[in-house]
Amino acid sequence: MMIVRSILKTAFIIAAIIIGLGFVSKLADVESVKDFTLKDYLGNEHTLSDYKDSKAIVIIFIATQCPVSNAYNTRMEKLFEDYKDKDVAFLGINSNKTESVTEVKDHANENNLTFTILKDEGNVIADMFKASHTPEAYVLNSNFDILYHGRIDNSQRESEITSKDLRKALDEILSGKEVSNPRTKAFGCSIKRI
Amino acid sequence: MKNIFNSLIIIVILLIGIDPVYGQEKETKVNDSSVEKISIEKLNDLIKNRNGKYLLLNIWATWCVPCREEFPAINKLHEKYKDQIEFIGVSVDYPDEVESKILPFLNSLSIKFTNYVNAEKDADKFISNLNQDWDGSVPATFIFDTKGKQVKYFTEGKTFDEFEKEISGLIN
Repeated sequence: MMIVRSILKTAFIIAAIIIGLGFVSKLADVESVKDFTLKDYLGNEHTLSDYKDSKAIVIIFIATQCPVSNAYNTRMEKLFEDYKDKDVAFLGINSNKTESVTEVKDHANENNLTFTILKDEGNVIADMFKASHTPEAYVLNSNFDILYHGRIDNSQRESEITSKDLRKALDEILSGKEVSNPRTKAFGCSIKRI
Repeated sequence: MKNIFNSLIIIVILLIGIDPVYGQEKETKVNDSSVEKISIEKLNDLIKNRNGKYLLLNIWATWCVPCREEFPAINKLHEKYKDQIEFIGVSVDYPDEVESKILPFLNSLSIKFTNYVNAEKDADKFISNLNQDWDGSVPATFIFDTKGKQVKYFTEGKTFDEFEKEISGLIN
């Protein structure tokens, strides 16, 4: 009887572990980040806490050579324009080892990107965010908690967008609501790390 | 007591066997070319039906430079290991780009392994279906064992030697 009871107990534990495994295979996402300082392509230093008084801080990892990131150039600039008067800070970060500061500057000028673009030498900040590809967006609050992480919208082709996820998240934050879909995914170019 | 124990064993087996079930979607042939659309359901079936072989699944796009760079290595790997491993590529370009982008690329490298184009419009769903931890960066390679269980995944582009290192130890 003791042996049967022991076997049953073991079987229960195994079943519980298996059930549990199904629920723990979630993303090990970063929940908040620390303050950091990076230079923009003109050599000016920007510290995250400079933007602490904003209602939200948008950070997008971008690239100069990634066709997916480039498909979003106009949309990113429009987002910046639409939200800058709503007290939302907007920062682009280039972490690709293959893209120099000069290239980032030329790319911004050629594509009329007027928002701040920082160069993340050694992909230190991409590592802190666990950012994997471009374009990849994050929205932070003043405590640098990540309120939204994922795609800008759901289609590389503007004509086929059905969900403007980043805008929706920003609108929810600005109206004091919780972000209804805080995590989304999209295909993108891997960040070229050192 | 024996009955309870047997029931528990059955529950455990069922739990191991449970997999997401999706609706049926018919595979579509694109302009009679060799690159067909693939739905999540069809991809999951391919993963499950191993016929005693491992599966190396590569997710790529013509716009992705590292994907293009590692493709000849996968082709060479396919030549060497095709008896033990099934090689499948899935392009995440748009299905209407088969003729203009996908086929010219595959033909330029004389690619011998089977390639599909992703038919799932919801990228989020496609990505999470393959691995909850995958963010969607490409290239992404997933290795499944002979039972269809995912044993490895990596997202950086690899050389032939690096790929070979990843699969050595799995097959013999």
